[in-house]
Amino acid sequence: MAPVLDLANLPDADVVALAQQGREPAYRELLRRYERPVFSLIFRMVRDRETAEDLAQETFIKVLNHIDRYRPEFKLSSWLFKIANNVAIDHLRKRTVDTISIDGSPHAATRAEIEATSFDVESRGESALEEVESRELGSAIERAIARLRPEYRSCIMLRHVEGRSYEEIAAMLDLPLGTVKTYIHRARKELRDALEHLRT
Amino acid sequence: MDRHLLPSEIDLLLDGEVGFGTSPLKTHVRKCPTCSGELEEARATVRALEHLPHLAPPPLFAERVLSRVNIFVPWHVAALDTLRGFVPSSRGGRVAFGVGAGSLAAVMSVLVLWIALRFDAVLFAVGMLADRVRTGLLDAAGTFLAGALGDSAYTLVRSSGLFGLAVLTVALVAAALLAATLLRTIAVHRRR
Repeated sequence: MAPVLDLANLPDADVVALAQQGREPAYRELLRRYERPVFSLIFRMVRDRETAEDLAQETFIKVLNHIDRYRPEFKLSSWLFKIANNVAIDHLRKRTVDTISIDGSPHAATRAEIEATSFDVESRGESALEEVESRELGSAIERAIARLRPEYRSCIMLRHVEGRSYEEIAAMLDLPLGTVKTYIHRARKELRDALEHLRT
Repeated sequence: MDRHLLPSEIDLLLDGEVGFGTSPLKTHVRKCPTCSGELEEARATVRALEHLPHLAPPPLFAERVLSRVNIFVPWHVAALDTLRGFVPSSRGGRVAFGVGAGSLAAVMSVLVLWIALRFDAVLFAVGMLADRVRTGLLDAAGTFLAGALGDSAYTLVRSSGLFGLAVLTVALVAAALLAATLLRTIAVHRRR
């Protein structure tokens, strides 16, 4: 029997090393750590829960089936986000995606379908009024993100939702640093314009 | 600074850049309500982005992924795991196991050393043993042939050497095939 380790406290590189030894709990730990960020990135790119689930699965299967090729000098998260972005962009290129609100897919006919295709914005323990305002702004910004070009969308989310540096984003998306800065600048401007009505 | 900030300069402040270049920008923002308002608007957008929650995938997402992942266990890890399976979990058991494994390793080492030192004697003994086994097998085969075909046929096969042995082998294989075909034909007829 393999020795029991507290995987939750190990850095990514150590968990990957255990996964490379065929330890299933290490695979589970990697999934636990990154399923939400990866799913969120993809969902905000494709705006469809089912598709996002399929693409997130594809991302993890690609990464975990090739975990032996991982080189510890790179961040695992960068590798994951790079693949997640690639699968999402490939998907968007293959088909034109409808822009939907966070209230559910436009194709949803029944209440159950609306619930299945909508997503929740978690409460952060604010007052009722703050929560309403926050939800309003949250919904508005989700809608504004949905209207951005996919390239802007991935850049702005990696920068401000995932907190990545410009250099990391450039490496992840295989884009020149200047292009990443331009995309983020334009995305911020478009978002600012889209949210202007909420501030007035 | 006698002009408003450029969008790229607002970005610098938004990203929290520090250094000599940003100092005059910060001074200007403190004095200019237009630029200050613009920077605050940009900051509000960034704050809204940073407060976006991570969305949860469906509950069985991890299981679905793992069911399609080939978890490869390298041979040395598998071997170590197998070994670990033999190690008892109790402390006393582990000590006993360690003593036993140590003793066995010591005996094996001595044995290997002894064999290495007397390699010529070992070779001689192995050669003798192989010779005896070969003679025994030939005698048994001769006895079987003599019993099955009779002494005269055995003598004939033996005197004709390799050719005789080949003819005998072909004849035996042909007889076996013929018998199998006959049995199959009988079985097919019976089934009808």
